[in-house]
Amino acid sequence: MTSEAIYAKLTPVFREVFDDDTIEIGPATAACDIVAWDSVNHIRLIVSIESEFNVRFTVEEMTRASNVGEFVALIGSKLS
Amino acid sequence: MTEPAVFALGELRQGVTAAFDFSIDQQQMDAFAAISGDENPLHRDAAFAAGRGFAGCVVYGGLLIAKVSRMIGMELPGRDSVWSSLQMQFVSPLIVGEPARLEATVSHQSVAARAVTLQLKVTAGGRTVSHGKALVSLP
Repeated sequence: MTSEAIYAKLTPVFREVFDDDTIEIGPATAACDIVAWDSVNHIRLIVSIESEFNVRFTVEEMTRASNVGEFVALIGSKLS
Repeated sequence: MTEPAVFALGELRQGVTAAFDFSIDQQQMDAFAAISGDENPLHRDAAFAAGRGFAGCVVYGGLLIAKVSRMIGMELPGRDSVWSSLQMQFVSPLIVGEPARLEATVSHQSVAARAVTLQLKVTAGGRTVSHGKALVSLP
């Protein structure tokens, strides 16, 4: 799956989790850019991404991923 | 006091299921009316409910959620679990005194998020009363 395709699937996930239809995500988007990105919604986000892409992350992978671009690369690596 | 079940995250693999039978009696209906302030006659007046085509007073949806609370807090995953979301659809009324069953099944285990998704289903008399899902975190 291309990065563009991953972003296309990931954007609705972010909009659903953070209940904001205006959210646009890019490689540099991080928790500090989305007001509702707190610890509870972070859990919802991870579970939603895992479900949407049918992948599973490890704790270490989540610790390393600090922005959306790194999430996308991680998803891409699991789907390749 | 009844002790809750204790499941570790690693035990909550996809497909793990718990279930219990229950029915809602008039005392529980009265208690919920007092707590919620919902005195809708569909829930409080059997004759009124019958006039709307129901076999008796309709159980409050909130009381079905209360059974979900028992499921998550006492059965699956039990102790230490914390809900972070719940979605329920109410598709058929449950009547006061009617035997029902709540079943919960782990549909997603996330090690990274330390959370599981539970699929929830309330059935009675061979029909689905309510279904939904909950996201539950574990320490």
